[in-house]
Amino acid sequence: MRRGDTFLAAFLWLVIAFLVIFPLSILIKESFKISGAEVWGIGNYLEFFQDAYYLKTFGNTLLLSTLLLVTTTLFGVPLAYILARYRHWGKTIFTALILLPIVLPAFAGVFAFIIFFGKYGTLNLLLMDMGLIEEPINFIYGIHGLVFIQALHMLPFMVLGLSAGFTNIDPSFEEAAEVEGAGGIRRFFTISLPLCTPSYLAGAVLVFLWPFTDWLTPLILGQVDFLPSVSYINIAYHFTDVHRKYMGIVAVVVSSVFCISLFLIARWWVEKRKYTGLSKGTTSEGRVIEPGAVMKTGAYVYMILVAALVLLIPVVLGLAAFSRRWVFEAFPTYWTLENFRVILLQSPDMIKNSFLFSGIALVFGIAFGLPVAYIIVRTRVPGKNALDFVITLMLAFPGIAIGVSYLLAFWQTIPIATHWIIMPLALFARRLPYFLRMAHSSYLQLDPSLEEASEVSGAGKIRTFFSISLPLLLKGVLVGVVMFFIMAFQEISTAIFLYRGGWETLPIGIYLNWHRGMEFGIAAAMAFLMIVITFILLLIISRISGGVLKAAWGAAEK
Amino acid sequence: MAYIDIQNLYKRFKNTVAVNRIQLGVKKGEMLTLLGPSGCGKTTTLRCIAGLEKPEEGDIVIDGRPLLSEGFVQPSKRGIGMVFQNYAVWPHMKVFNNVAYGLKLQKMPKSDVRKKTRDVLELVGLGGLEDRYPSQLSGGQQQRVALARALVRNPKVLLLDEPLSNLDAKLREELRFEIKSLVRRMGITAVYVTHDQAEAMVISDRIAVMESGNIVQIGTPQDIYQAPANKFVADFIGTMNFLDGEIVQIVRDEEAAYVHTAFNERIRCSIPSTMEAAPGKKVYASIRPEDAEIFTAPPQAKDNVFKCIIAHKAYLGNFLYFFVTVNGTMIRIQVQHHLPYEEGQELFLFLDPKKCTILF
Repeated sequence: MRRGDTFLAAFLWLVIAFLVIFPLSILIKESFKISGAEVWGIGNYLEFFQDAYYLKTFGNTLLLSTLLLVTTTLFGVPLAYILARYRHWGKTIFTALILLPIVLPAFAGVFAFIIFFGKYGTLNLLLMDMGLIEEPINFIYGIHGLVFIQALHMLPFMVLGLSAGFTNIDPSFEEAAEVEGAGGIRRFFTISLPLCTPSYLAGAVLVFLWPFTDWLTPLILGQVDFLPSVSYINIAYHFTDVHRKYMGIVAVVVSSVFCISLFLIARWWVEKRKYTGLSKGTTSEGRVIEPGAVMKTGAYVYMILVAALVLLIPVVLGLAAFSRRWVFEAFPTYWTLENFRVILLQSPDMIKNSFLFSGIALVFGIAFGLPVAYIIVRTRVPGKNALDFVITLMLAFPGIAIGVSYLLAFWQTIPIATHWIIMPLALFARRLPYFLRMAHSSYLQLDPSLEEASEVSGAGKIRTFFSISLPLLLKGVLVGVVMFFIMAFQEISTAIFLYRGGWETLPIGIYLNWHRGMEFGIAAAMAFLMIVITFILLLIISRISGGVLKAAWGAAEK
Repeated sequence: MAYIDIQNLYKRFKNTVAVNRIQLGVKKGEMLTLLGPSGCGKTTTLRCIAGLEKPEEGDIVIDGRPLLSEGFVQPSKRGIGMVFQNYAVWPHMKVFNNVAYGLKLQKMPKSDVRKKTRDVLELVGLGGLEDRYPSQLSGGQQQRVALARALVRNPKVLLLDEPLSNLDAKLREELRFEIKSLVRRMGITAVYVTHDQAEAMVISDRIAVMESGNIVQIGTPQDIYQAPANKFVADFIGTMNFLDGEIVQIVRDEEAAYVHTAFNERIRCSIPSTMEAAPGKKVYASIRPEDAEIFTAPPQAKDNVFKCIIAHKAYLGNFLYFFVTVNGTMIRIQVQHHLPYEEGQELFLFLDPKKCTILF
């Protein structure tokens, strides 16, 4: 059976080579091409690092990343602590609301906030009507707006990691500090927070790298001097100027290398101080505190504030979706279903494409992710760690890098970019690590002796997998499957480079309609539709992980 | 008044009563063990003393100072040191910082902190390991760090919550004696929680046996082994043969009773002084395996001699177990020397009426 494992691993490596290594090597190759001459060289890179403009964009991106990290940390730490530790009413609903931006497309937030916080947006109009201000306040145009919008989008990643960290701290670590005489605040800063650093870093890296990926938010807000936006403009709009295209590719490679280095450093640091496994005989349940009245009120106000900001996105988009000509008014006055009629009658293909592409990506994901998880967790095939490593690296790759490299690689050398299958392939490649993580961790929780018992009873490996492993893995895998689908469903940064007429997905449709100026009602309606679909999928997740399966696996609540 | 005085302590978790109005006094310098199966309330009691749980009723007084009735005293203000079951040695701090943590909080001068920490690490046998991280230590060493941390502030009371349960058997036995002599030497009053009866026997001056939130018996290890208060205690501490039956006759002046069991209509047993015995009462005739004897010829005794058959035997190195049946009921006998009896052999069993007691 070891030979079977080796064959499987070899096949998986082939897939990785085809979908990841090959396109990225083409990307790197292109970046060394010098325009107008049939030569190769590092000229583009030299120019990049000598050109004041590119350096400025690099600096801007770093500044934005830093501000974003500081903001999400300052807001995320208390939020995670409240969610993980305090016993309070409505824990589920608040957690769901605060985590919602993970599954909302990033651009949905931008559009909603332009409508609400824009120069003559709802808030400014209301404030002016009340006579509180004379001139509109600039809420979002500028780096502060970028930080605000991106921070709200990335906050859940921070909160998710941190609150898992807080929950996983063995209660006796804090109790020991309590007995030793440390008060609440000192205990938090000397014990709880340091013990959380590994989980904090995991979230922090994703947050810090986001400005290197998100080209759309700065572009919409008219702030183009950021690396990914410049790359996008250079590659997508200036294809006739070959030199600018190459410079765009260089920018993509530079930010990819930067992101991956940072990712590796963080990973190395986390590995170095893994605290888990040190304490034994712990209760799986974390410490829960009954806060005092003041703290409790404060916690509620804080949670409601964040939840309200998040809720603004679907509410504003909903208002825009059911109205027309909502301009220079605090709230829409002309209500209509016209936007939805247009979507459903004129471009139902977009909805169909979205489901089709995400669905196929999902099938790829399962067919690839489960075997990889199996190889990594259950076998000793040489090179399995490298396999894990390469796939995990995809987490750090900016979506734009994958989009551009697919465009370059699959246009002429292996011409599959002319077929729509390229769309689900790209979606699959981009979100693979997410699915793998889920499958991986649920595989780790599956006691090998359950599988061994089946083999001893006479079942072959494959039969054992389908009759024992798969049913037991389903819980973790199903949640992974739905999350994967949602991620693929909202994907735009990769897909925008690859779509051709007729392959538009909903996110692309939103982007295009927004460009058409007064058609933002249609864009809003599409975004609203996406949010509704996502919401239904989320309900399914919570059913899987919280309802039916909780009953089957035993309630976690005490 | 006792040094630690637990008065009417009551603690409930939702609908389960964890500690049911217990009374307990610990003398100054004494090592007292709370012993019982999991869920008996021993750890909860300890955590109440530490201040990590807030009991609904009752009071705990340490050295004349009430910790509950005159306002809840925070754990940090109770003058206690505690060793946790899973060590709770902070993994992100070096050994030195783990131990010095509490001293630093007291705003002690740096040189004193260093000296005290060094001294206590020396005391627990970890001298020279100050700069290690916990992950670089073995389980036993981590537990010593936890012990050093609990001792460094010269606590009035040392609390130990199953401190050895995560160590392997050999090390556990070693550390038992070490902890005992260390605590003795420092003269600290200590409360020790364990579910391991052998550990409790070795380490304690006195043992309080707990069952479902109540203290069933308090006494020296010897008291508890020789005169268990009831069947639960007898069963939990050591091994005991129980024959269920009914009292048929009481011999008042000899403090003895005849019990009807599956063995025989009349087994003569002694009645413990604390028990109310009356004819007709359902009881267990109980005897320790080492107190039952077997002979090839019937021994000269008026009572308690039975014909038995050896069902099987087990050799454990320092002693031998025989499992014998009398009228189809099996009991266990422990003998020190290798007796050449074989399985299936017929013998005579003698249960000494002085050592055979009735229990409820």
